Amino acid sequence: MRAGGFPEEQVRARALGGAAEAFPPVETYGHEVFGQDVSGPHPPRDELDAARLVPPVFMPLRLEKLIDLGREPLQSDVDLRTAVGGFSSALPVFLSAFGSTRIGSSEVSVAASRQAGALGIPMVIGENVVPVTGYRRDPSATTGMLARLRAYLDAADPSLGGVVVQQSTEDADAEVWNLVYSDPAAEPLLAGGRLGFELKVGQGAKPGLGGLTVLDRATAARVSEQFALDDLWSRGPGVLRSGSPGTFTDEILRQQIRFMRNNFPRARIWVKLHPGRDVARAAACAWEAGADAVTVDGAEGGTGWAPRAFLDHVGLPLAECLRRIGSPAGCLLATGRVWEGVRAVKALALGATAVGLGRAALTAVDADPEHGLRRLVECLAFEVQLLTSALGKYTPAALSGEDVWFPGAADAAPVFEKA
Amino acid sequence: MEHATSVVTEQAARRTPPPLSEHLGSDTTRAAMRIQQEVLGAARDFLRGEGFVELLPPVIGPVTDPGARGSKQLDVDYYGHRYKVMTSGILYKQASLLAFDKIFYIAPNVRAEPVETCNTRRHLAEFHQIDVEIAHGTRADAMGVAERLLTHVVRHALAAVPEQFELLARDPLAFAWLLSGPFDVLTHREAVEALHGLGYAQSPDAEIEWTGEELLSSKKDRPFFVTDYPKGSRGFYDRESTTEPGRLRNFDLLAPEGYGELVSGSERESDYATIVTRMRETGENPAKYRWYLDVMRQGVPRSAGFGMGLERLTRFLTGLDAVWQVNAYPKVPGEVAP
Repeated sequence: MRAGGFPEEQVRARALGGAAEAFPPVETYGHEVFGQDVSGPHPPRDELDAARLVPPVFMPLRLEKLIDLGREPLQSDVDLRTAVGGFSSALPVFLSAFGSTRIGSSEVSVAASRQAGALGIPMVIGENVVPVTGYRRDPSATTGMLARLRAYLDAADPSLGGVVVQQSTEDADAEVWNLVYSDPAAEPLLAGGRLGFELKVGQGAKPGLGGLTVLDRATAARVSEQFALDDLWSRGPGVLRSGSPGTFTDEILRQQIRFMRNNFPRARIWVKLHPGRDVARAAACAWEAGADAVTVDGAEGGTGWAPRAFLDHVGLPLAECLRRIGSPAGCLLATGRVWEGVRAVKALALGATAVGLGRAALTAVDADPEHGLRRLVECLAFEVQLLTSALGKYTPAALSGEDVWFPGAADAAPVFEKA
Repeated sequence: MEHATSVVTEQAARRTPPPLSEHLGSDTTRAAMRIQQEVLGAARDFLRGEGFVELLPPVIGPVTDPGARGSKQLDVDYYGHRYKVMTSGILYKQASLLAFDKIFYIAPNVRAEPVETCNTRRHLAEFHQIDVEIAHGTRADAMGVAERLLTHVVRHALAAVPEQFELLARDPLAFAWLLSGPFDVLTHREAVEALHGLGYAQSPDAEIEWTGEELLSSKKDRPFFVTDYPKGSRGFYDRESTTEPGRLRNFDLLAPEGYGELVSGSERESDYATIVTRMRETGENPAKYRWYLDVMRQGVPRSAGFGMGLERLTRFLTGLDAVWQVNAYPKVPGEVAP
């Protein structure tokens, strides 16, 4: 497995080394002098990477914490527990959908599910997993949706996290939501208020398009009634499967959300938007219709496989999405090339309630199937604590636009209020 | 009389069906089936008398009513194609108007309802509907047929098998109000307000919840209609009001005494472009409805109609505690049964 254009080596190092990787090698301590370019890409890949976190000198919230604790607060006093889209999460982090690309539906995704459960963070199960791999053709299957649900539930603290199941237009044929909602296996999740459904309006890697994956010829033959197939590689082992993106207007989005709330009253409702130019209007529409969370997937790639034309030229970058949304009227979740604490804290400061890990999670589990994701997230959480306390704040919710400085901007970013 | 009471009490205490042999051999089941037979006969007589033609509904098809409230369709492998067992005959009812202006079915339906509905006492995974469709009909026409049908069936059953009601200790006076005059009509908005007045937190944008419906029904002594459900609570085929966008030209008929919904109906959407748009609004993929959309594109008459739940109606008549008691081979959601 390879993840091009992505800090793969650093993610793998964290998957093996955990929170220690938040620092340069400990053997170098006292022997080397470090400058700016030790970590982080140069030039920065996007505006969010170029921005800096800017702690103040005077910290009234630190004083509050000092009074509360009766001692000087430390980074370990940052409380990372966060309400994420209607669930209680141990961290302002969730596991993003992997979809049905070969990677996303493999045993790697089951290992990721188990670790997400153990971490107490919500997990999203991607679109098209059921139409392509089935739900429970084989009850002892070690991959697929049911295997992922079981792995998550077996590892999870029942008071934390939740599982969110995506459905796209093609999934509607397989009635994924109805299937899960009426399945006795999902009852523990429903009873604990830990089941959610995500309406996938679009995705970051291919704004305006549906899912594109390469299927082997046997699988392609099985799903040929549901998907458009293109034999682009006449002598290759696979064919291109195109999912339709689905048609949305503000009324269609509003009514679909209401319909979900009506049909699945015990489930949380999430909406995933691609980084469209009207992302602020779409997010406002979703919250107004009662969505528990809106995920904005910046145009930063994903596990979905995209045409070259889309990789660098289509869709708004995450920072611009967050800027257009401004002060969110509901729970806003951000995804797009998040793998460490700095990008996470910047997104949280610019209005997000939590950040999603997609490619980073897959890479980490690929590096160490047993503990990779846990170590990666522990390192990220440690950095979030360090950075948040440096900003004089002790909860992720207290982060705001004043904490971020964009090069070239005369002043700090506007202060975004969280919902 | 004493014997009958003891039968009812013993059955009511049980939340799920006993083994099938015991169920089929019970006096309660026998009495319920005799009443249901009268319901079926009276419904057929009434509808034929009003000029309806009975058709036999299809059992499977490439697509079925997408339904609502979280139930799951069952798949059948049909020569390598994925077919659905009918959750309702709505799509075929509309198409049937190309043959006759007034049609009805006594239709079996299967819905894998969410497991939580096993406690509502009025859900079965396999059940039957008296399905009615009227070409060129309005909502008022459909409500009128539903009201007259219900009144006729109740009057007939009480007269035909009074001894069965006695056996089940169901007091015929329970139907005095039903038989004495027109049913009340509440809008969905008024129903929501009434529930709020009773301290029940009902969303104004959604279907009335099971427990809310039961509560509302328990305050009434005769059946009543609820009309104008909000968009987002019902299927794409319920026509949206042109004078009040966001409201559907539909209705439910609820039984009193807590028995709740007996009938769902509406004026149907018959405009092709509107149907496609409404499909998207309900999260459906229009591609899978190809045969239906082709028929709609060619044009079917505007219509109105409804489905009356046969087991729910029988439960209301018998006064039994749970709907499974009035089905010979009950399948309670989530329970594995023969």
